[in-house]
Amino acid sequence: MWFEDVPLGEKTVIGSYTFTEENIVAFARKYDPQPFHIDAAAAAHSPYGGLIASGWHTALVWMKLMMAYRQAQVAAGATRTQENYVSPGLRDLKWLKPVRPGMTLTYTNQASQKLDWPSLPAYGLLEGNNEALSEDGTVVYSFVNRVLIARRPSQ
Amino acid sequence: MADELLHFEDFQAGQEYPCGTHVLTAGEIAEFAREFDPQPQHLDPEASSEILGGYAASGWHLCALAMRMIVDGLFNRSTSMGAPGLDEVQWRKPVRAGDSLSVKVEVLGTRASSSRPDRGFVQLRCSMWRKDERVMFWTCSVMFRRRATEAHPSTGPG
Repeated sequence: MWFEDVPLGEKTVIGSYTFTEENIVAFARKYDPQPFHIDAAAAAHSPYGGLIASGWHTALVWMKLMMAYRQAQVAAGATRTQENYVSPGLRDLKWLKPVRPGMTLTYTNQASQKLDWPSLPAYGLLEGNNEALSEDGTVVYSFVNRVLIARRPSQ
Repeated sequence: MADELLHFEDFQAGQEYPCGTHVLTAGEIAEFAREFDPQPQHLDPEASSEILGGYAASGWHLCALAMRMIVDGLFNRSTSMGAPGLDEVQWRKPVRAGDSLSVKVEVLGTRASSSRPDRGFVQLRCSMWRKDERVMFWTCSVMFRRRATEAHPSTGPG
C-alpha cells in the first residue's frame, strides 16, 4: 500500500503477548537489570511492591507483534509496496500502569496522521496511535509511532 | 550503602554522566533482530535499504543497548524508581556492525514531586554517539528517591 492509500482512523489489533516472571527477568537481565525487574525479593520492597516488566520490554513486544502482523498480512495476500519499514523515531510514549507477571496485553495500532518528510521526498511520514490493553480493558501503555511509507511513484 | 546512592538532590541541570562505549557486532545486530525486529535490513548483511543505505541495526536495538549501558553506568548506583514515559525518541543515523558507540546522559532539569514528597523527577536526555555524531537520543523524566531528612541526625540545631 502506498502512502497515499493508507486509510486513517482504522484501529487494528496487532496481537497479544503474555508476560511471565521468566520472560520479564530474562529480558531485564539482558537490557534493563534494575532490581525491580530482575529480583522478586528486592522488587517486593520497591515502590512497585513486586516484580514489574521493564518498560522497554513492553515497548519491544509492540515491534515484535507488528512485524509478525505484517508478515501474516503478506502471507494472506496483501500487496507489499516496500520491503523495509524504517522509522525516524517516536513520541509521547507512556508507561501508564506497571506490567506484572501473568498479565496478557493486547496491542492495537491506529493510523492517525500523514506528514511530509522533506529530507526524503519519495516517502511520507505516517503516525499512528498505539495502545496495549490488559485483559480488563485498561490501557497500560501507549505511544505514537512514526514510519516512512513510500509514495506512489509519479508516472 | 544506601547513602552512597545518587538521590534526587544530587542531580542538577547541566550535569553529564558518561555511560561507557560499546562496539556493536554483526552477531548482536542479528540476534536482536531475530527476536524483536526481523526485517531484512537488520538480518542480512547483503540487504539493500534505500533509506538506511544497507544493513543496519534496528533502532529499538540502539534503545535497548543504551538502556543497558545507562543502568550499569548510572541507574544502578542511584535511587532510580523508573520513568513514567519518554517524551520522544529520535533515530537519526543508521548504525552498522563495527561502530563504536558511546552513551551519555545529560541532566536537563529537576522537579520535586508535588504529590509524593519522597521523590522527584529528573529530566534527562540519553544519547548515543558515534565519535561526534549523535546517532540516537531520547528524552524522559526519571523518578529518584529524595534523601530522607531523618537520615542526617548529626546536623545540629540552628
